[in-house]
Amino acid sequence: MNEYDEKREELINALMDGELSATDAQRLKAEASDDRELARAIIEAYQLQQEMDAIEVERAPNSLRKRLRAIPREHRRAPVFSFLQPRWAMALAAIPLFVIAVSLLQPDTPSASEVAQARLEMAIAFAYLDKAGVITGREIESRVGHTMADAVTGSVNRAIKSQNLNSKEKEA
Amino acid sequence: MKRLLMNKFVIGLFCTLLALPAMAQEDELKGLAGYVDFGDLSATYGEPKITINLGGTMLNFVSMMSSSESPETSEMISKLKGIRVQIYALDENTGAALDQFSETKSSLKSSGWEPIVQVNEDDEQVLVYMKMANGNMEGMTVMVVDEEEAVFVNVIGQLNPAELAQVMDKFDVDVDLDMD
Repeated sequence: MNEYDEKREELINALMDGELSATDAQRLKAEASDDRELARAIIEAYQLQQEMDAIEVERAPNSLRKRLRAIPREHRRAPVFSFLQPRWAMALAAIPLFVIAVSLLQPDTPSASEVAQARLEMAIAFAYLDKAGVITGREIESRVGHTMADAVTGSVNRAIKSQNLNSKEKEA
Repeated sequence: MKRLLMNKFVIGLFCTLLALPAMAQEDELKGLAGYVDFGDLSATYGEPKITINLGGTMLNFVSMMSSSESPETSEMISKLKGIRVQIYALDENTGAALDQFSETKSSLKSSGWEPIVQVNEDDEQVLVYMKMANGNMEGMTVMVVDEEEAVFVNVIGQLNPAELAQVMDKFDVDVDLDMD
């Protein structure tokens, strides 16, 4: 196909599509009256277009059409059960809250053995407190005893030194 | 992506709510003014040889059970809100225990506790601190570290030390302690 043929085909296609201006369309038809090849090409193009228009669009079966129409509705329909739905999430969250509330309202009653165990543990704790008391008491007694001893011996020494000084002053 | 995040959120919320009761029990004593954090020495000495955690609810039951035997004892226990004891066997390795002793002592000083008695011996450290508020005792802490063991006792609530011996007699429980 040469350049002339390509240009002519474009013009024919434009004529079929109604894209040619009235002037160009008249000019093309005038050329076709002198050019048999061009006239035949235009006629074939018209015939092809008529055949294409004659083809009917086949309708889909009713069952398929119903199914296709149902698809959007199915997509819109929410799932029956999902933990991700806010109402289910809230319901799940409410379960432990309910358990907590019930447990707070009804304090656990310990068994007799648990209370006895608690008494024993308390006695152990108090025994260690008592132990600390004994140690600190012993330490206080020890420290106070030493301090008193130091105070006594210190005052005696000072008294002796004082008397020595007095006797030396008298001798002088 | 959005659905995955929502899923994680729901699962996280569910687990958190299930853990709440346990956390509430743990925090029952922690929230009280007389509570003292003794840290954790298990990394050095293993699990404590004695761990005692008595909360207010259990102490109330002990108080009620004691009321018929000794109203005085019951009265004394009813003023307690918690008792905690941690005792570690040291086996002459006193380093970490003495560090914890000093750390707790600093913490007590900075949080309004008053020193009552302190013994500083080479082989024995004893510390008794008390917390008062408006003339009422809120807690007492006793720490003893010697070569054998480290003892941390925290009494939360009001306790008159003078009543201890009386209570011990009433309990009639034989507790064998090394008093050397």
